[in-house]
This record gives sequence, structure tokens and C-alpha cells, in this order.
Amino acid sequence: MSDALLDVITLVSVGSHPMSARARRAEQDARAVELGLHLVGDRLTVLHAGNPYEESLRAYLGMGLPALHVLEQPKGADALPVLANYLQEAHVQVVLTGTQAETGEGSGMLPYLLAEALGWPLVVGLADVESVEAGYAQVLQALPRGQRRRLKVRLPFIGSVDNAAPAARQSAFGPARRGEITLEDVEVVDDLLWHEAALQPARPRPKRLKVIKAKTAADRFRAATAKATGEGGQILRDVSPQAGAEAIFKVLCEEGVIR
Amino acid sequence: MLNTLLPILLFTALALAVLGACRRVMLWRQGRPTHVDLLRGLLAMPRRYLVDLHHVVERDRYMSRTHVATAGGFVLAAVLAVLVHGFGLHNRLLGWALLAATACMFIGALFVAKRRRNPPARLSKGPWMRLPKSLLMFSASFFIATLPIAGILPDDFGGWVLAAVLTVGVVWGVSELFFGMTWGGPMKHAFAGALHLAFHRRPERFRTPFNASAARSSGLKALDLGDATAPLGVEKPKDFTWNQLLGFDSCVQCGRCEAMCPAYAAGQPLNPKKLIQDMVIGMAGGTDARYFGSPYPGKPIGEHGGNAHSPIVSFEGKALVDAETLWSCTTCRACVEECPMMIEHVDAIVDMRRHLTLEKGATPNKGAEVLDNLIATDNPNGFNPVNRMNWAADLDLPLMAEKHHADVLFWVGDGAFDMRNQRTLRAFVKVLKAAKVDFAVLGLEERDSGDVARRLGDEATFQQLARRNIGTLSRYRFNRIVTCDPHSFHVLRNEYGALGGTYTVFHHSTFLAELIDAQMLKLGQHPLALQTSGGLTYHDPCYLGRYNGEYEAPRKVLKAIGIEVREMERSGFRARCCGGGGGAPITDIPGVQRIPDMRMADIKTTGVEVVAVGCPQCTAMLEGVVAPRPEVRDIAELVAEVLIESSVAPAKPSATPRRKAEEVL
Amino acid sequence: MADIIRRDPHAEWIARNRLHPLHALIQTNMHGEHARWMGPNGIIRKNPHAALGFSGPNGLRRIDRSGSQQGGAVRRQGEQQASQLLLHRVEEPAFIIAVVPDLIGGRLSSHDRDLLGLARQLAGSSGAVLAVVFGEHRETGFDIAGVDRLLQLSGHEYEGYSPEQRVVALRAIEGQFLPRHWLLPDSRTGGGELGRRFAATLHERPATRVWQVKEGQCIGRAGAGSEDLARPLPKVVLACAECAEPVSEARYEARAVTLADIHSLRVLARIEDMGAVAVDPARVPMAEAEFILSGGNGVQDWDLFHRAAQVLGATEGASRVAVDEGHMPRHRQVGATGTWVTARVYLAVGISGAVQHLQGISACDKVIAINLNPGCDMVKRADLSIVADSNAVLQALIDLVEAYRRGEQREAA
Repeated sequence: MSDALLDVITLVSVGSHPMSARARRAEQDARAVELGLHLVGDRLTVLHAGNPYEESLRAYLGMGLPALHVLEQPKGADALPVLANYLQEAHVQVVLTGTQAETGEGSGMLPYLLAEALGWPLVVGLADVESVEAGYAQVLQALPRGQRRRLKVRLPFIGSVDNAAPAARQSAFGPARRGEITLEDVEVVDDLLWHEAALQPARPRPKRLKVIKAKTAADRFRAATAKATGEGGQILRDVSPQAGAEAIFKVLCEEGVIR
Repeated sequence: MLNTLLPILLFTALALAVLGACRRVMLWRQGRPTHVDLLRGLLAMPRRYLVDLHHVVERDRYMSRTHVATAGGFVLAAVLAVLVHGFGLHNRLLGWALLAATACMFIGALFVAKRRRNPPARLSKGPWMRLPKSLLMFSASFFIATLPIAGILPDDFGGWVLAAVLTVGVVWGVSELFFGMTWGGPMKHAFAGALHLAFHRRPERFRTPFNASAARSSGLKALDLGDATAPLGVEKPKDFTWNQLLGFDSCVQCGRCEAMCPAYAAGQPLNPKKLIQDMVIGMAGGTDARYFGSPYPGKPIGEHGGNAHSPIVSFEGKALVDAETLWSCTTCRACVEECPMMIEHVDAIVDMRRHLTLEKGATPNKGAEVLDNLIATDNPNGFNPVNRMNWAADLDLPLMAEKHHADVLFWVGDGAFDMRNQRTLRAFVKVLKAAKVDFAVLGLEERDSGDVARRLGDEATFQQLARRNIGTLSRYRFNRIVTCDPHSFHVLRNEYGALGGTYTVFHHSTFLAELIDAQMLKLGQHPLALQTSGGLTYHDPCYLGRYNGEYEAPRKVLKAIGIEVREMERSGFRARCCGGGGGAPITDIPGVQRIPDMRMADIKTTGVEVVAVGCPQCTAMLEGVVAPRPEVRDIAELVAEVLIESSVAPAKPSATPRRKAEEVL
Repeated sequence: MADIIRRDPHAEWIARNRLHPLHALIQTNMHGEHARWMGPNGIIRKNPHAALGFSGPNGLRRIDRSGSQQGGAVRRQGEQQASQLLLHRVEEPAFIIAVVPDLIGGRLSSHDRDLLGLARQLAGSSGAVLAVVFGEHRETGFDIAGVDRLLQLSGHEYEGYSPEQRVVALRAIEGQFLPRHWLLPDSRTGGGELGRRFAATLHERPATRVWQVKEGQCIGRAGAGSEDLARPLPKVVLACAECAEPVSEARYEARAVTLADIHSLRVLARIEDMGAVAVDPARVPMAEAEFILSGGNGVQDWDLFHRAAQVLGATEGASRVAVDEGHMPRHRQVGATGTWVTARVYLAVGISGAVQHLQGISACDKVIAINLNPGCDMVKRADLSIVADSNAVLQALIDLVEAYRRGEQREAA
């Protein structure tokens, strides 16, 4: 990194394993920590708003962090104002977060609301920070299908990372045990959302049925008895390699993967 | 002249040897302290060497006998030489005895020399090629020097020419054999080896006379995670315990471990002998330029080095050992089984892995993912723990949570999630039901035994899983645990004890053998029994065989269903690993070929149609070999195939006719 | 498209003459026009003699139920019906439901249509659905997708990645039209980001990942997907695909509207788009790659394979066996034991198709197999299989693509 004085904060949350729902380090937040470690090494500040005694927070420390700072809040409190206050005072150039929390509301709004509250630009899908100079950062944004876009963003900025960012390093037991969790008491602000919203176990979404838009019985009959398309592929035997290649080439062109 | 020179030479050499010994002891003491009963160990040492170790040494009969002559002759000769030539006790009887001893040693040394004329690849060269000459020189010199004392030759025979020649011979001999012993020459093995046997880190391995490898002590030693100051594994050579360092130092570089190591044979960058030598280099400081054995495959000699106070594995550049060397090991214990010095290679490798995983977070390839899965889902593949009993949805298995007590607790293992292994499990349940065994399973309360986590060095996850399993097991009453997975079997039997869980554990093959002995099962003849060609061979799982000494029961079970096992050349305690242990498929260090392919080649040489196994890992690894290849069947499946169920048994009506049809076959 | 019906007396004459050799052909062609009509009560009537079948060689009426004959005719009907759909007009909307479709490639995606369907539900008969379109588009079916009002904002400031500019525009629309709800697709292709940015500037807590809206309540996925969040429908809604049925029953005006003060909308961008970065397909993570060329045990010439991947611009994959043999690195292994891939096109060369491998490619759209064994499982799975020597086919494919590229260059020059 060209700028030795770059200061980076990564915001982390407590995740939940998709299979067992056990608390863990959140996948995207861990990638944000990874990116932060990549940028500034162990000068990275890692910040969490919530319960400081949650064991799974130590998984972040296990990535080689000397300490983790926690703004102590009860469950159901609004993390936004306390984080915004903290960041306002923190004199950092880059704030990294995951895209979406794995527990609670998980609306993915936090980076947006933070950016709005602080008046900072927000880059979503941050994949890498290429350079930081003269008040601007040149970054790579991840697009679907592994594509990348280069952006120039004014400092300070908030970057949210998704699963396209570099994978998080392994969390090791030793540093996790040694790392220090520092507490800060903050004013508790109730999250108003919970006055009107309620969490419930996820219901499986209804599968969309193939709706037959037919006005007449004959059309409905035809649609119901029609052979499903795509059943069984086309098999070309005893063709010349050229003919085979042409057939493949045709499909590739149809699908638009030949550029 | 010789009479004045010899005592000086002898005592100088002895003094130097004592000095060297002190220095060597200081080197070992760099290691961490550990509790060893020094006196009892020293007293037991001769017996351990002469009696308990016999079986292992005897496997190389040529060297065993050569060693008796050479070493026995040398020890006697050395004592007598000190008496006769050092203290000047020119007694004719002692002279004759010394002559006999040196003659014996000379003959032994000739055989050593013969072995060294065209040495097999596993033997180290370099100074080791010098050793037979030194032995010959020592024995011949003292033989001639003693002839006058025995009264065979006149006292002044030969004059100063002979005296000079003898002096040279004696100087050479005692340099190599006395002070070379403690200053790092090839004879170091005698000094360090004797003390290593006395202060061995697993004294329980010497329980069974004549057969130290049968007195199994194969469970890994637990780390004390409660002590925040204790190192998590081994980072630097000084983090080994002092008797581990002593053990490394006793290596005689015979290369028997190298010859047996599956990773070495597969061209992965591991050679157990080199690894132990690297630890010695780390202890004493220096580089491996003066190592004269086979290298780690694909890694040239002379590039690695270190000392006791610098890390063994470096992530930038090279240090003593590369990480991939440590991750190549399948923990099959073939090296430990073969080692005539009883060196504990696997313990050392896991110690170093512990540091890499627990401190550095550097478990390679899928390691980190597997460990995360174990933490979050209690199984290595990250399956939803709720699906653990799906394989038995229709079997109506009794649950411990409902029964609270049973004779047998059937430990299912993580194979419950694997479709192939589910066939084995279902077959075994069928047998259990047919034998009317009073059994129950833990169901969703079961977790991974922690085997993989521990071999990958994640002691923390292992202990967490183990403590939770022990907590679960403590709620129920049962007489014994039976499992189809040798890895769970080993961990439950040998490694939970240190954490407070002591159980009677059976592998399913042992349990089946017991059921057959007790005539609880009605079995037919297996179709394979009737065939003249083809047939069946049995692959010994490492964690059942070498780790727990169970070689007989599976063969007995196969015999009971009429199958004669066509043994592979490498079977029993020498069985080659399938490549599936120690997390090796997870860390996946590339080699020139794959271990399961080599094992399948072993199997194919017997010309069989079926290979019987007793382990889900072995099944997976061997079935991963590209067809055509013999079929892989678990012992439980083979037994279930020929099971004759009595009509009284409450079997499903639809299932009965099919079973009858099998009988007819 | 010409909607004027022209008479073809010659064809009519053939239609009447059952012995004319072209009689059957003309019959089927004319069915669309003459076999059905709307009766006085709005019920579709049809002539059973003309509607089905054709005359066989012996003059007997044959009915072909395979559907092959009807293909053309049915499509014509569809277009006819679209124009026949009842036009729904809202002159003075009581309120506005604003929708910002993604318009991937300039067309309404199915996700966009679902969202418009939801907007339609919320608008009822008195509200109007306003679609906001940034930049140029190629969509012609806004009317049948349920759009009452269409607001198009074009200009270079909306080109490329311009989320801040777009948010300012949306705020202006908010000020002018005061929509009751804003609906955006919660997608990775734009809507998810734009909606959240917009909601943040409004200091609104949007409902996200919404999959059901019913009686003023909405349900969206929460957390990592194991919980749902139910809440009253807020102003800004980011909805999933299939959140509602797309519109199909009526036609809407899609009347163009404009924004009053379009020129005061310029903002000083704090994020500057410096353009797409050329990504080497070989370095695209396999799980995300769009086009994978995967090699297995049957590949003999790996240099040729690598060259083919390079020429085709494909990401390389491999079967377990190929990885075990050391031909490909482990992180290129496709399958349940390696990487689960989502490629649109998966070209499998010499892969027989172990269960684990087929599991790993289950999310792929088009699978093409080149294999010597026509009976292998990969061929059964594939949409197109070439049973031939892989080397020859790969070489021919390389030649074809190279020739195609050269041709393109010549055209460009």
C-alpha cells in the first residue's frame, strides 16, 4: 500500500451458520476483515456493536487481530447511531463492512444508512483497493460472473464486500484466545423497526406453477399434454470433427459466450 | 610403548566422550520439561532393549544378528579394553575374553561391511559408509594389541612399527566408537538410543515382552488448553519435550520408515527418516547439507536449515521443513511400527501441525473449511446436523434418548451422511437386529468424534467435540460401544480417556467375530467361497490394525462366511495405507501418484474380484480409483449378504422373500 | 406489422378446392384467421371443421395432436390476442406506484415483470404504475407488462455506473409524483443497490428481499435466510423475483411523462466509473464463471485443451480424475467434492460424468459433451453431445473460432 498512514476500520457482526444456525463469524464480515488486514495489516481496527461476551466474536480475533473493539449494546438496539458517532470521531479513510448481516433483519441497509449519516460515498461489492492517493482511492468493484469494474472514489468512503471479495483467512485458536476485547459503553438507542416488525421462521416460498394462459379447452389440453422441452439432448454420432465443432460453435454463439 | 600409549588414548577418548555426552545432554535439555521416571527408566532400559524390542528389530533378521555380534562384541570389548589396557590388568583370562569379544565384533563388522557394499536406497550413506571400517579397525587393533596379553604373542612382538600401526588403529577406533558416540558420529545412536529407550515418552509401549509393537500406545497426547502459557504445539525445535528431542537423536537412519511410508512412495514431499534428521539438525543447529539419505521427494538437499530457537516452518522462504512435508503424512503409523528405535514420528508431525493450525491458521486446502464445518455443524462436510439420522429413517432404530440404557451403543460416525457408507451402516444394523442385540444409537446427539480435527492439529476443536460427546455419553448406561469406523473407534477407545471418557469400544469386525463365536448369527456360505478363481482380499485399516492391533477378527469373520482371504504382500502390520487418514485427502498435497492407486495396485496383484474393508475412509479412497478395479465391500455388507434370518424375527414381510432368494444362490 | 387483412383470391380458391395439391397447406395457414372469432357475448367461437387437422392422402380428415402443426398458428394468435387485450386507462390516478426496473440489456427481465405485476396489484384500478427508465431501452412491451406511465431519463450522466446521479433523479421524481410506494428488484444487477441508496437518502427503512405482499403486510427474508421478517408494507420495497404474477390480463397505456426540471439534477459524482476491467477468464473463480471448458480422463492432449480454453475465452475446469492425475490444479475440480459451478455453458471434454460431477454442474444451463462413449452419463445429461475424438473436435473448434474472429476483424476494418 502506498499510503502508510491509511487507517481502516472493519465493522463486524455475529453470523449464523446456514445449516446449523450456530453463531459464527459472518462470512462477508470476515472477508471485510481480510481485506482490511490486506490493506493495513494489524493496524486494522475491528469494531462490533452488540454483545461483547459473544464467544464467536473471537473467531475474528483468530484471524490475527490483537484486539476487537465493542460498543456494548443489548439485543434489539439500533447499531446505526452509535456506529455513526464512533466513525465520525475515528479519523479513518476507509470503513469496510459486509453486505448483509446473517442474523436479525439482514436488510443490508447498514452501510447505506451509515454512508448517508456520515455523508461519505459508498462502494458496494468492493473486491480490492488498488491504490490510495491524493484523497482518492482507486478500487475494484465485483460484478456478477466474476467481472470487475474500476472506480475512483473520494476518501473517506465506506466499502461493503460481498462473496466476490477474497476469501477470509482461517481463524486460529491461539490468537483468538489471546486477542483482547475492549468495551465501550454507549447510549442505547432502541431500534424502532421491532415495534412493528416481527421475525418468524422462514417459510418455504411457493414454487411458481406453470400457468397455462389458455382461453379454450383445446388450448389447455394441448398445453397439458405438450412434451416438456429440453428432455434428452441432441446426440451427434458419426459426424466429422468439423461438423461436430460447428454444432458446438452454433450453441456457443446462441448463448453469447463467444466474444 | 603401547602399554603407556593405550591408557592415555583410552582415557582421553573416554574423557572426550563424557564431555560430548554432557554437551549432547544440554542439547536435549533445550526441549520443554516433561515428567519422566528417570531411575525406573534407566533400570528398565536393558530389559526394554534386549527383550521388549526384540520383535521389531528381528524383522530385519540379517541386521538383527549382525547387530548382536557387533554391538555385543563392542560393549564387551570396550569394557574389557578399559580394564585390560586402560587400568593395565594384564590378566590372561581377561585377555582371552577381550580377544573373543573383539573377534565377535570383527565378524559382526564384516557383515556390516557386506551390507554396505551395495546398500539399499533406504540406508544413509556418508559417514555411515565409514562405520564398518571403523568397527573393523577398532576390533582388529584391540585384537592384535591384546594378543600379547593373552600370551599368544611375546610382549615385544612387532616392535615400534606394529605399535605405531596399532596406535593409528586404536585412535581411529576409539574416536569413532567412544567420543564419536557423543559428538554426533554414527555411533551416536547407541548412546542416544539407550537413553531414549530408558526415557521413552510412551513407556507403556514396553508392556508386552518380546513384542513392543503389540503393546500399543497409539493415542495422541492431549494439549493442556487450560494453561494459557503452554505453547500450542511445536513452533521451534525447543518446543518439543526433551525426551522427544532425545528420541530424534537416537535415529540410526536405517530407513525402514522410509521404505514403508505411503506418502514417500507416492512421491509426496515426505520422508520420515529425513524428517527426524531435520529435527536433529534443528536441535543442534545447521543445514541439511550433511544429510546423506534420500531427500523429501522433489526437494533438493542443502536448502533447508535452522536451529533450536527459530521456527521449523517458515511462511516466507525456507526454514527447517516445508509445511507441505508435514501435511503429506496420513498418520498411518507405518513408520512408527517399523522403527527399531521406537521413535514417535506421528506425534512429532501432529505436534508441528498443531502449531500451524492453532497459531498460524495455516491448514492447507480444504482444511480450514473442514474445521469450520466441524465447529458449526459437528460434521466435516457441513451437512445439516438435523439430517444425521436420515439414512435410518425407515429402520426404526432405538434411540438412547428414549431407552437410556442398552447393552451396545452403536456409534454411527459421520459416514451417516455419506450415501456409500450408509449401505454399510444399514447392513450392520441388519446383522445387529438378526442377532437380537440390545442396541441403541445416539441419533442427533452424536457428533463427529474429533479424529480429523485432531490429526489436522486442531486440538481445540477436537477437545470441544470430545467433551460434548463425553457429556452425551455420560447420560446413558451401556456396556460397550460398537462402531463401523476405525477412526471413531480409535479416538473413543484411546483418546477420550485423557479427557475423562473411558469406554469399552469394539470395532464392528471384532463385534461380529464375537457374535459368530457366540453363535448368535446364522450365516450361509458367501458366493465368493464357491469360486475357484477371483476371490477376496482384505485391506487392513491403519486405525484398526497398527493403531489397535486388530488383525485377526476381520479375517475370522470372513472365514466364518467361507471366504479364504488371499493376502496381499503388504497386509497385517505392514498394510499400506489407503491414503485417507490424518486428513490427507483434505490437505491434499500433490505427489507423483496417488496412495489409493498404489494400494489398488497391491490389491490387483492378488487377482481378486472383491476387496473387503472395514473403514469408511478406506471404502471412499479405494472406490475413488478409476475402474476397472475389484469391487470394494465392507465386512458388514458381506456378512449381511449371507445372513439367514429366522422366520420368527420381526423382519418386514416384503424383505423376507428376497433374503430367501439370496440363500439359494 | 401490417394488421390490414388482405384477401388472396387464389388462396381462397385453393382452400375451397379439396383436390388441389396445396389445399392442406393453405387450410392450416388460414386457420388462424378463419377458424375462430369472438362471438357476440365475448366467447371465442370456432369452426370445428376447419380448426383441427387436415385432409389425409385419402381425403380423410386427420388430426395431428403432436403440436407440430399448431406451432406457427398459435404464435400468430398470441400476437393477435395482445392487441385484443382490453386497454386499461387511468386518466387521473389517485396515487402512483413507482417501479424502477433493472432493464438488463435494455429489456424487461422476468424479475422486472414480476415487480410490475406486484405494482399493478398495489395500484388497483385507481392508482397508476409509473416505470422509471434510465438511459436508452429496447423494450416494446411496457404496455402489456402493466405500465401506465413511463418516465425515461436519458443523457450521458446516466450512462455507465452512476448510482448517485440516479438517486438524485429518483428524489426529484419523489418530489414531483409523490408515489405511495417505490418498488425495485432486489437484484445484484442494480436494483438492490439503487433501492437501498435511494431509501437511505429518504431516511426510510425499506422492506428487503420481499417475496410476499398481502393486505398491507409484506414478508421478506431476513438474516441468512433462515428467518422471515413480517412488517407493514413500507414506502420503499425491494422485492425478490416471483414476488407476484406478471400482468397478463390487460393492456396499459405506458404514456410517456417527463420530469419538470430535468437540468437541475446534475450532481458532482463522488464515485467515478473508470470502466470495466478486462478479466482473464482463466482467473475467474470457477463458481462464478459463465463459460467453462472442463476436461476429464478422456483428454489426451492437455496443451490443446489449454489452447482451446484460451481461444474460446473459457474458464478451465476438470473432473476429479484429471486433477488426481495431476493435469489440472485441485482448485479447478468441478463437482460435489470440488466446486459447484453455475456456468451458463458447460463444455465437458472426455468426462464420463460421475454422480458427484453431475451434482456439481446441476445449476448449468447448457451442457455440451464431447465423448467417445455415447452411453456415458455425461452424454445423457448433455443438451448437445458430439460422439467423436476430443482432440479432433477441439482442434476444429479452435479453427472455427479463430476464423470467426478473423472474419470479425476484417468486418471491423
